[in-house]
Amino acid sequence: MIEFLSVNQGRILGDLEQHLYLSLLPIIIGLVIAIPLGMLAANSRWANAPLLGLSSVTYSIPSLALFIAMPGIIGTKILDPINVVIALSLYTTALLFRSVLDGLRAVPEPVKQASTAMGMRRARQLLTVELPVAIPVVAAGLRVAAVSNISLVSVGALIGVGGLGDLFTYGFQIGSYYYIGSGIVLSVLLALIADVVIVVIQRIATPWTRARAAR
Amino acid sequence: MIEFESVTKRFPGGGVGVEDVSLTIPTGKITVFVGPSGCGKTTSLRMINRMLEPSSGRILHDGQDVAKLDKAKLRRGMGYVIQQVGLLPHRTIVDNVCTVPFLLGRSKARARADAVALLERVGLDPVIAKRYPAQLSGGQQQRVGVARALAADPPVMLMDEPFSAVDPIVRESLQDEFLRLQHDLGKTIVFVTHDVDEAVKLGDQVAVFGGGGRLVQVDAPEDLLGRPRNAFVASLIGRDRGYRRLSFVPARDLPSHDVVTVSTDATTREVHETSERTGKSWVLSVDSDGRPVSWLDGRGDGDDLGRVPVGNTFTDDDSCRAALDGALASPAGLAVHVDADGRVVGGVGHDEIARYVTSLRSAEGGTAEDAGQDAAVEADA
Repeated sequence: MIEFLSVNQGRILGDLEQHLYLSLLPIIIGLVIAIPLGMLAANSRWANAPLLGLSSVTYSIPSLALFIAMPGIIGTKILDPINVVIALSLYTTALLFRSVLDGLRAVPEPVKQASTAMGMRRARQLLTVELPVAIPVVAAGLRVAAVSNISLVSVGALIGVGGLGDLFTYGFQIGSYYYIGSGIVLSVLLALIADVVIVVIQRIATPWTRARAAR
Repeated sequence: MIEFESVTKRFPGGGVGVEDVSLTIPTGKITVFVGPSGCGKTTSLRMINRMLEPSSGRILHDGQDVAKLDKAKLRRGMGYVIQQVGLLPHRTIVDNVCTVPFLLGRSKARARADAVALLERVGLDPVIAKRYPAQLSGGQQQRVGVARALAADPPVMLMDEPFSAVDPIVRESLQDEFLRLQHDLGKTIVFVTHDVDEAVKLGDQVAVFGGGGRLVQVDAPEDLLGRPRNAFVASLIGRDRGYRRLSFVPARDLPSHDVVTVSTDATTREVHETSERTGKSWVLSVDSDGRPVSWLDGRGDGDDLGRVPVGNTFTDDDSCRAALDGALASPAGLAVHVDADGRVVGGVGHDEIARYVTSLRSAEGGTAEDAGQDAAVEADA
């Protein structure tokens, strides 16, 4: 096993790096898009229903179908990793949009009322009160999105974009369980680490949620 | 000064919020809106800082129509306290207090220093400044809410049932401190409550709202208790109104007279002799400074002589309510009248208090009962 790892170090690390890039870049893109969309839906009756419908529909499209259809939709090459990045960004956006909306809706009414009554304008209230108070709910969505993206990127190996899924397909081809096993272990480890990192960032960003327990 | 000019608020569902309310809220005084739930008192309050807009009519603040002012700027000049407090959960206590000063662009360091001083002023330990709202008790949060409303020193305070969610003992101390603060600050305060006792205790002026969002009576609390305009107001202010009204009758003119006193180190025999000589069965023991200690039964036996500690005494600054309470609680039927240092100056019996109050009423001409029976007035409410 150790021999296998040292011989294939280059390939495994390369796949790991590609996997990280393909799964985490969409998280950042998705979050950046989902925050304004969530704020829009929380504040506009008009935008709320269509955005919610769109997010449900998006999330229900099978991933492999979306990976394959992407080039036809946006005119990229069939093997371009950007297909996976864009497809996963769509999923992440759909999922995080719900989290942002739920988080904003869960802000207690007296908090909103008091903020307004103290003379905060709407935008400031959203950005400096409602969004920060929604962080724990958004972070919960982020954890789901991160884990789900890390597992979905493996599917991308079927269309040849690399990542740890590459170790599965190659392992099957040559009949080596070493490749398959290391692919599985690394995927799981990556998902666990991503989860822990998000939890730690959330705890640092929301000191007040820990203060509650200390009362 | 805040003026309501024929203000009506109707909600889209068809429910009437407020119906044709005209009212003047004087500067530097506490005006209390009181009434049952759904009577429009909160709706009226929320129209002052434009959390709601009237369907018709105007609200003027210092002569300016609030509808013409920038909402955010208008609100920053009016402190706002609500029952659920609504502290920002993600900000520390000191930063919560600084909310409006920060909005006004004041220096952060300066605002925080002022905020800590303000926390002390509302009766909080400054160590809580760095804590988060969830770490505070309900009573503490409400004090922070009051400090936050005062932070930018607004001339107007809008308070919506601020003390309703805390237990009765905390509520009473919050009310007392609130009155003490207002004595120093002299803000123009609009205070909403459903509790008549609170309204009468805090208000310089009480506005009673009735069904359908109409204003039924606006009066000083003692006039409200003495002359309820109709049966609705009379029933709202309740059975104890006659007794409550005594709160507004000063005790200084009560016919206080000498009471029989003995020293605390008088012997049983001396107490018996004093009682026999004066014909009073109860004598008051006083300490060497002349402060009352307890009532002694001059015909009692044993060492303790039926000792009853003196409970409530009254001073010239107290009301007849305090004096009557003291008299009823005393075994001698006498309220002990003391000076500012707590030294006994005399006593007054409950029968004498009753006679005094009766003489005041006949001097006024009408009686509370006359007004209460004047049900015809109800027609215009």
